[in-house]
Amino acid sequence: MSDEIRSVTGGDELVVPEPTETTSAIWESEGLFGWVSSVDHKQIGIMYLIVTLFFFIVGGIESLLMRIQLAQPNGTFLSPEAYNQIFTMHGTTMIFLVVMPVLIGFANYLVPLMIGARDMAFPRLNALSLWLLVFGGLFLYFSFLTQGGAPAAGWFSYAPLSEKPYSSLTGMDYWAIGLLITGIGTVATAVNLIVTIVALRAPGLTMRRLPLFVWMVLVNSFLIIFALSILNASLVMILADRFLNARFFTPASGGSAILWQHLFWGFGHPEVYIMVLPAFGIMSEVIPVFSRKPIFGYEFVAGSTVAIGLLSFGVWAHHMFTTGMGHTLDGAFGAASMLIAVPTGVKVFNWTATMWGGSIRFTTSMLFAIAFLVQFTVGGLSGVHFAAVPIDWQTTDTYYVVAHFHYVLFGGTAFGIMAGAYYWFPKITGRMLSEGWGKVNFWLMLIGFNLTFFVQHILGLIGMPRRVYTYPNLPYWGILNLVSTVGAFILALSVIVFIWNVIISLRRGKPAGNNPWDAWTLEWATTSPPPAHNFDSVPPVRGRRPLWDLSHPDEADKGGLADG
Amino acid sequence: MINLISSPFNPSSPQASSITNLFYVALVISALIFIIVTGSLIYIMVRYRSRPGDGEPKQVLGGKGIEIAWTVVPLLILTFLFAYTVYTMQKADPSPDPYQQPDILVIGHQWWWEVHYPKSGVVTANEVHLPVGKRFLVLLKSADVIHDFWVPQLARKMDTVPGHPNTIWLEADKAGIYLGACSEYCGTQHAWMRIRVVAQPQADFDEWQQEQLRVPATPTVGEEARGAQIFQERTCANCHAIAGTIANGRIGPDLTHIGDRQTIGAGVIENTPSNLAKWLANTQSVKPGSLMPDMRLSDSEVNALVAYLEGLK
Amino acid sequence: MVERNRLGVIIFIISEANFFLMLILAYVYFHGESSLTAHRYLEPAKTGINTLILLSSSLTVWLAERELKRGGYRRFCAWLLFTIILGAAFLFGQGVEWSGLIDKNVTISSGLFGTTFFTLTGFHGFHVFVGLVALGILFGLALAGDFKGGKSSAVGAISLYWHFVDVVWIVIFSIVYLGVYI
Repeated sequence: MSDEIRSVTGGDELVVPEPTETTSAIWESEGLFGWVSSVDHKQIGIMYLIVTLFFFIVGGIESLLMRIQLAQPNGTFLSPEAYNQIFTMHGTTMIFLVVMPVLIGFANYLVPLMIGARDMAFPRLNALSLWLLVFGGLFLYFSFLTQGGAPAAGWFSYAPLSEKPYSSLTGMDYWAIGLLITGIGTVATAVNLIVTIVALRAPGLTMRRLPLFVWMVLVNSFLIIFALSILNASLVMILADRFLNARFFTPASGGSAILWQHLFWGFGHPEVYIMVLPAFGIMSEVIPVFSRKPIFGYEFVAGSTVAIGLLSFGVWAHHMFTTGMGHTLDGAFGAASMLIAVPTGVKVFNWTATMWGGSIRFTTSMLFAIAFLVQFTVGGLSGVHFAAVPIDWQTTDTYYVVAHFHYVLFGGTAFGIMAGAYYWFPKITGRMLSEGWGKVNFWLMLIGFNLTFFVQHILGLIGMPRRVYTYPNLPYWGILNLVSTVGAFILALSVIVFIWNVIISLRRGKPAGNNPWDAWTLEWATTSPPPAHNFDSVPPVRGRRPLWDLSHPDEADKGGLADG
Repeated sequence: MINLISSPFNPSSPQASSITNLFYVALVISALIFIIVTGSLIYIMVRYRSRPGDGEPKQVLGGKGIEIAWTVVPLLILTFLFAYTVYTMQKADPSPDPYQQPDILVIGHQWWWEVHYPKSGVVTANEVHLPVGKRFLVLLKSADVIHDFWVPQLARKMDTVPGHPNTIWLEADKAGIYLGACSEYCGTQHAWMRIRVVAQPQADFDEWQQEQLRVPATPTVGEEARGAQIFQERTCANCHAIAGTIANGRIGPDLTHIGDRQTIGAGVIENTPSNLAKWLANTQSVKPGSLMPDMRLSDSEVNALVAYLEGLK
Repeated sequence: MVERNRLGVIIFIISEANFFLMLILAYVYFHGESSLTAHRYLEPAKTGINTLILLSSSLTVWLAERELKRGGYRRFCAWLLFTIILGAAFLFGQGVEWSGLIDKNVTISSGLFGTTFFTLTGFHGFHVFVGLVALGILFGLALAGDFKGGKSSAVGAISLYWHFVDVVWIVIFSIVYLGVYI
């Protein structure tokens, strides 16, 4: 699938025509109105990053409030009602208003640049998705101001607790409607990304030469298509129950609580892969550049991504091992869940092998990437424990699972996002983030994160259930919780350091130039920040690392040359 | 003797022990993989860190052999783990005979546990008594939302799902008190829906059963009598039952032998006269959100009730 | 450009198809309990006629597209109008069926059949309505002379969506109405 456009000089370079005055006027309108009305993927991407940073701070404050309450046994800092709303909002915020959209924000900014395109396929739809996120998030948070308060049935709103008889006030309605609003925007972005990647690649950029970040975003977008549609269906069903007295999930009137779980986890499980695949993509970009070697096993990394995507739809009921599905179903889902560990492990090994024999540059970005590898491995291994069904029968719904998912989502994805932030901040803003502050950021985050969450494995293993607003004074429960709380504050400090770094670097960071890292993908072939039209001219693409090939004509990559 | 470390690594039943064994195997495998990955990374960071003057390293694109190796080896390890998993599922949670009648019926409520012994007729709440060394089939139901019955040292956890009864085996191989908790978020007071399993030698269990079946005599003198009267006159009987009286409510826990129970409010406080007084005077301050309303009892009414209820042994 | 819009609508259709699949699965999940009500109150023959009306609207929109490519602009507008009329007739027929059921106390809250039936057919009807709005906009633009160029990705995309809505109805009709006979 190659474009017809040839350059005026007849050479290989794709020359993008100068924008006309009208186009310029539209693209480059200044000020707040310019941003709010923007349909430019770069501005929209930046707005995603700002919005999600805001919600990350909100969600983070929620977690600090929880950790203060849990710092000692029989805590009275928060009432149970307040705590339950806060933990529900913390989970809902982090998943729907932070992790998913920040990855979408990165995809939005980077994908057109990485494929040598001018913008996304549907720029206005792109803007709509962003504003649906903002509106949906505000709608959800509006619930705090209402008499019913925020939703308090947990981020997965199990029925019948989430039904009217047990959640009679409006919090749950804000949850369901808010997520429906953002869910529609998310599906629209997935459509946009798929069409962009399939239809707008620069000449020479075949599917087999896609940067792995783009490849992972493509697979991820298909996951979104199939998973978010399941969520949307579940949300309309629970809204039908709550508003129209339908009976989908109310056992007292013939409905099924288990059906809610099947539907929700049918979304929820692919969702966790949606929250990690783009971070895998970031790893696949950052690690090669700072090891000065191409990714080891490109085909296997790409192929294992597809495997994970497909398998992720076959494991959902591993969240339901304690509902009494019977050993046959338990065993089948346990087997599938163990199986999905294989392609995931393949990736970790490939990233490690990429570093082997390389020349490792310990930039802040790389430090975050290395920490990702270790922490994600920890989270992945505890995940395999859960796949061993009887272990799940002991550890699910305890702090062991809280530790597990924070290790993969924070120790994994969030650290991956940090690696991506330090890596691409220069491209987005034209300035380098301070490496000095970056190192402080990294070490505080590393220590804070592990202190907060490692001890939670132990708490789960000595009997502490999750979602409890307080706990009895049993041996070690108090001290371990206190350690976790201290860790959380260190983590909060690391976030403040990051924000400080962003602020000072925006003002007086070292100018970055086009390609401060000597990286190889197309986004580094234009200015930092890129012009409104992205590229004055797109370099010829004959391999997976166009800029490497340009500067090392005798050592161009052999991989990915064959078309198809 | 309360076992304070309620951990799956402190098992006290054949079912829980089989899970512990599986867990040890999984941990050993995990430790090995973790050491390999982290060890490799540490080695790499030292050996391959960039030094000034380094050129670009050899641009290796991949290696089919090793890709196959690190796909197949984990697959084999996981196959072994899965086989041991299936074996443990049978050991930890053997399927009951479909026609077997349950020995214990546990019904989860917001936020307490209703406990019945259908074969003997014993009714209690929040505590399950067992004779040591015998396994009992427990039928798990819910009166409202999904709860989860979990006593880590003795058994797997299992949800109580409205409309979908479940069963587990409960057995203790040593006498003692085993702690547990509701393990499925069920609303405001999910945190204080705790469980105590009291495992006793057979003779002691039989004695306990006898005691539970005995209908306490209604007191006729003193504070106890006044308390009994207040219990009947105030609307306590709407929610609670006491055998031998007209109180027959099933909304809240059965109080026939409340004096014998170790905790009040499903584990939120120890069962002592002063704690019971606190509970009666201001339930919401002890367990905020509890479905027991403020009964607006005067101090003297509280004292009388405490005398009566603590006497119900 | 053409390629983009078509691909976008196809991906969108895939996600909507999955959405409907979940509503259908919910219907099937409760089929045991609700089949009695279905058997008693549904009239597959009547609804079959309504189905034919909707299916013929797929034919007319296909004809419209064909005329547009051939340059038969007037006929294109006519077939487009027929499509809208047939689609509206289908919705009207659905409305009649719904009010009949509600009169007999079969509602979304009356039981498991009502819950799953009204949700499923309701969302289908909503998708038909959105399609009608889109077709209406196309018709308005057509009257204003917008598609004289002969090919239009907008027309292609919206007619693809319209065919999708019909296919979903065929599935619903088979499972809910014909399923009564099983």
